[in-house]
Amino acid sequence: MFKTLGVSVAPMELNPRDIVPEFWYNIIPDLPRPLPPPRDPPGADFSRIDLLRDIMPQEVLRQQFTVERFVKIPEEVRDRYLNIGRPTPLLRARKLEEKLRTPARIYFKYEGATPTGSHKINAAIPQAYYAQAEGISAVTTETGAGQWGTAVALAASMFGLKSSVFMVRVSYEQKPMRKTIMNLYGADVYASPTNFTEAGKRALSRDPNHPGSLGIAMSEAVEYALKQRWKYLVGSVLDVVLLYQSVIGLETSTQLEAVGEEPDVLIGCVGGGSNFGGFAFPFLGHGTKARLIAVGPAEVPKFSSGKYEYDYPDEAGLLPMIKMLTLGREYVPPPIYAGGLRYHGVAPSLSLLMQEGRVEWREYEEPEIFEAAKLFSETQGIVPAPESAHAVKAVVDEAMRAKRDGERRTIAFNLSGHGLLDLSNYESMMKRFKS
Amino acid sequence: MRKLVVYDTLGFPTPQDFLKFSEGLKGAGCDIYEVGLPPKYAKYDGPVIRRSHQTVSKFGDLSGSLKEAVEVSKVPVVVLTYLEEHLDRLREFLKSLRESKVEGVLFPDLLIDFPDQLEAVVSKVRSEGLKNVIFTAPSVPDSIIKRSGEITDMFLYYGVRPTTGIPIPVDVGALIRRVRNMVRSDLIVGFGLSSESDLRSALRAGADGVAVGTALITELEGRGVTGGLALVRKYREILDGA
Repeated sequence: MFKTLGVSVAPMELNPRDIVPEFWYNIIPDLPRPLPPPRDPPGADFSRIDLLRDIMPQEVLRQQFTVERFVKIPEEVRDRYLNIGRPTPLLRARKLEEKLRTPARIYFKYEGATPTGSHKINAAIPQAYYAQAEGISAVTTETGAGQWGTAVALAASMFGLKSSVFMVRVSYEQKPMRKTIMNLYGADVYASPTNFTEAGKRALSRDPNHPGSLGIAMSEAVEYALKQRWKYLVGSVLDVVLLYQSVIGLETSTQLEAVGEEPDVLIGCVGGGSNFGGFAFPFLGHGTKARLIAVGPAEVPKFSSGKYEYDYPDEAGLLPMIKMLTLGREYVPPPIYAGGLRYHGVAPSLSLLMQEGRVEWREYEEPEIFEAAKLFSETQGIVPAPESAHAVKAVVDEAMRAKRDGERRTIAFNLSGHGLLDLSNYESMMKRFKS
Repeated sequence: MRKLVVYDTLGFPTPQDFLKFSEGLKGAGCDIYEVGLPPKYAKYDGPVIRRSHQTVSKFGDLSGSLKEAVEVSKVPVVVLTYLEEHLDRLREFLKSLRESKVEGVLFPDLLIDFPDQLEAVVSKVRSEGLKNVIFTAPSVPDSIIKRSGEITDMFLYYGVRPTTGIPIPVDVGALIRRVRNMVRSDLIVGFGLSSESDLRSALRAGADGVAVGTALITELEGRGVTGGLALVRKYREILDGA
């Protein structure tokens, strides 16, 4: 089914071109039940689905709705993937294993190795590529922590596009360095809510000191794209984004196979769900028996308190409704919280798999993920993004469980990004949680 | 022979013209007539068909028109409506359709919103003397498309776009090739298939027929029954010639 190398090939012989897949993988044909499609609300004054044609690059929209199990990666996109260092490394966390004295073997796919420091670039490159191929001059998007904004800024500059990024105000203020990188790549960055979109003005009229939310920033970016006749690039949640992110899991699968491993547990953190889906879904496509664990923050409790229902991805409701686990489109995360993963919903395909019980979930509180981040930094040396530290915490728990059970399980997780530009988050945690 | 499935909303554009249109369908080359009962929430319908629901809501009770349409059209009639609104009184609803001599029923939300009730609803439909037309879409996994192909009675309906009437860019050929070899039943393709090139790619990829709705509603709105029937004849020619 997949292009694999077979166990006979020694790890030394792996060539990057053999690991970076030629096709993206789409989980939809392999789901246990139908995925409820995006739809227009009852009695709609305008069709959101129709509006998508003005919002997204045509080819991205085509791939969102032309459901096939495998989609060919354009050679130019694959070339860019190779150029930014794909395949990303699959590393074994031996020192963490030793520290935990666990019989489990722990592997992590290190998506922080890309130039932008997270997996987000995997979905930005194809979208910018298609936009450029369609003669688009500029793109917009939203960003929370700044990882997606950075990815779009880089991808846009790769393909000669202008980019404007609406950054959630609280992050904009706390993360000036992310803004610097985006500016360096040539993007304009605005603190959302701004007063140059209707969605932004509405939020500011409710509260002039509104901290912003990903939902509001998303509405602003969409509205701005429509007004300027630019296109909007989508960073998570939609099936097409999880499709692009499948390079993570496809590579991991090949890399694990090359060292003769098969995972028993697969773990990833969940904001909108794209790194998790990209990492874990290709294994489901293979028919893996592994347990899948999605990890989120207790402070943004979409797994434990979210409802599985149709809701808007964005706050203003410019995008079609999608069926997902959601805290509601107007959800605003607690202001003090610095752990990331603040989006109000979960990708429809992942929501469905969680409803079906195929994907388990965990929620951890900030002090717990802070401790996990510290442990990982001290043992493995990589400072994880606060988002990814959620996955690390679940890995530690699973490694301890393997120890209790006395089993040599193979745990693989996705380290979705590094935390070198999130040090202010860690500083805040250090002040708040003396350890 | 390739099948042409024609959709109209019950009573559209007016109860009189609806019957005139129904009467002309067979002569214009329609094989199966899909009649839409306006729901409270037309989940998968675009603005044009939603507007037709509003139009006919002014005409009051149209249940008599359904029976008349079945009589005058002389082609098998499939009623299309959302299961959500009939689940509570499904048996009575199916009985009323049977009394109107309707042949089959299509619930677009059966598989998507009520996947666990698929087999139960299918048997209930049969036990009331009606045939099932199961609706599938690209968001339906392969295993369930296969199963649907086994249990559908008249044909399998495959809607290639998320909403009727909105020309979302999709690769019609690729979507149909994905499911063609999974099902042995007749495969009828619909949703936004008004353009000649879409119709041709659908047929080339192995569809046994096409379903058209929004384009006809638009034509009925603009040029009335004559225009509507002319468009049906045009689709027939494409099907026969392609």
